[in-house]
Amino acid sequence: MQSNIEFTFDGQKMLALPGQSVGAALLAANQRTLRKTRFNQNERGVFCGIGICFDCLVVINGVGNQRACLIEVTAGMNVQTQVGSHA
Amino acid sequence: MHNVVIVGAGPAGLSAALAAAAAGAPVLLLDSNQRLGGQYWRNSSQPIESQKDQHFDLDTGMLLMNAVKARKEITVWNGAQIWSASHKDGVNTLRVLHQGEEKIINTANLVLCTGAYDRTLPFPGWDIPGVMTPGGVQSLIKGHGVLAGNKVVVAGSGPFLLPVAAGIIKAGGQVVELLEANKSWRWLLSPLTLLENITKLKEAFYYIKTISQGKVRARFGVAVIAAHKGVDGKLESVDVATIKRNFKVKKTRNVKCDVAAIGWGFTADTSLAGALGCKLKVAKDKGVVAEADSNQQSSIPGIFVAGELTGIGGAELSMAEGVIAGISAAKFVGCKVEISKAHKKRRAKKQRFADALIKSYPVKSGWLTWLKNETTVCRCEEVSVGNLKYAIEELGATDSRTAKLFTRCGMGLCQGRVCGRSVVDLVAAELNISPTDTDRISAVNRPIISPIPLGVLAAGE
Repeated sequence: MQSNIEFTFDGQKMLALPGQSVGAALLAANQRTLRKTRFNQNERGVFCGIGICFDCLVVINGVGNQRACLIEVTAGMNVQTQVGSHA
Repeated sequence: MHNVVIVGAGPAGLSAALAAAAAGAPVLLLDSNQRLGGQYWRNSSQPIESQKDQHFDLDTGMLLMNAVKARKEITVWNGAQIWSASHKDGVNTLRVLHQGEEKIINTANLVLCTGAYDRTLPFPGWDIPGVMTPGGVQSLIKGHGVLAGNKVVVAGSGPFLLPVAAGIIKAGGQVVELLEANKSWRWLLSPLTLLENITKLKEAFYYIKTISQGKVRARFGVAVIAAHKGVDGKLESVDVATIKRNFKVKKTRNVKCDVAAIGWGFTADTSLAGALGCKLKVAKDKGVVAEADSNQQSSIPGIFVAGELTGIGGAELSMAEGVIAGISAAKFVGCKVEISKAHKKRRAKKQRFADALIKSYPVKSGWLTWLKNETTVCRCEEVSVGNLKYAIEELGATDSRTAKLFTRCGMGLCQGRVCGRSVVDLVAAELNISPTDTDRISAVNRPIISPIPLGVLAAGE
């Protein structure tokens, strides 16, 4: 069994397996809401899982609009819920 | 000799790469994933031999992937994001983000094997976290070893629902309902094709065996027509309806679940082909695809297209087309090679099966009656059915393009990949007209292939 990679989601400590995407690691920890929409502040999470829909957007190390389903977790990554368009 | 440049490393792209290399051409194979295989043979970072459980035929995939890695004529760029593409005077220019750098590829030949993604239909509650596409649920299992939830409803239409349900059960999850909107007798509409492709039944039984071990029985003529969230904002239940042949609701019941995987077949990813100016057309299932001649050449000489991009037909048709596209591209760069009759015969047989699929799993217009005014249509720009109706009734939009401009529907980050196809149907139904091919093709027009950070552009120019 490979060792876990540590990262944070909204300041909370999280674990991922090597090669896992941010979205997958968060879903494994039952974190389903990844962003809040711009106009209605509706909660959204992983939908298409393959980078098509742009619904799983998160802020990673300060950079917004990152697709959680595509980006692999790296050690010490700082992931935050994206609120609105993070412009 | 120039490189044969291939985009997409799924069944079509892998086959094209091997065929071109075998003909003597050097090959550059680009894919946005970190590993070869595409969506069909998507695999995780764990040893691939341990992942056979999640595949009907990973052996074929491993054979192709290993052969591609072994051939010295083939260079692979994994994790390559093409963000812009253009065609001018016989030269295709691709701008690629690869390993943090922008690279520019100028090439006269190109083989596009960009695949497809789940077709979705909007319905009340489809934007609640927990409602996903079947492909999304499957990619989490195959690519990351993660189950999206514990109690999953799998619904929609098409044979793809079977491997998704089987995969959930194999991964230790519970499929609470497996719902196919169409009736199984529809396969009797294509009796000769069924007989000709009898081996396909083996694949179906492989999944059904697992599904029955999970104590689930598929129900036909049933669909998920609404999703509801609990006090925590997460998916809590779905409304499951027995539907008529035209998809209108007969009666409804409520089913508890924490994930609903709902898909209606696939939509070809025409973004790259469209940006290059390849002629697109409307297929029999009303999806937009790239036009291909018998050598898999697009309307632009030197650009070849293969796989789901040219019409939804599954991995075997994709491989058959990929081989032909690879040979054609090798020929284009100067290799002495011919497409054999056997290649074309194999493609024709798989094409007949693809045609039968379309006949067996239609999406009927009754789905429009499931919508409410407040139902979200465009997830990116948060445009509702009511917003679209307003654009038509009060602002006078008379086609989907104008309705789009009035509402920003389909103009968000996904550029209409998710809602575009449905918006065309919705607007036409509202106007009481039939969508034209132009309506459908203009809905897939996308200037940017894949958005990238602005800093990369600023640094490059």
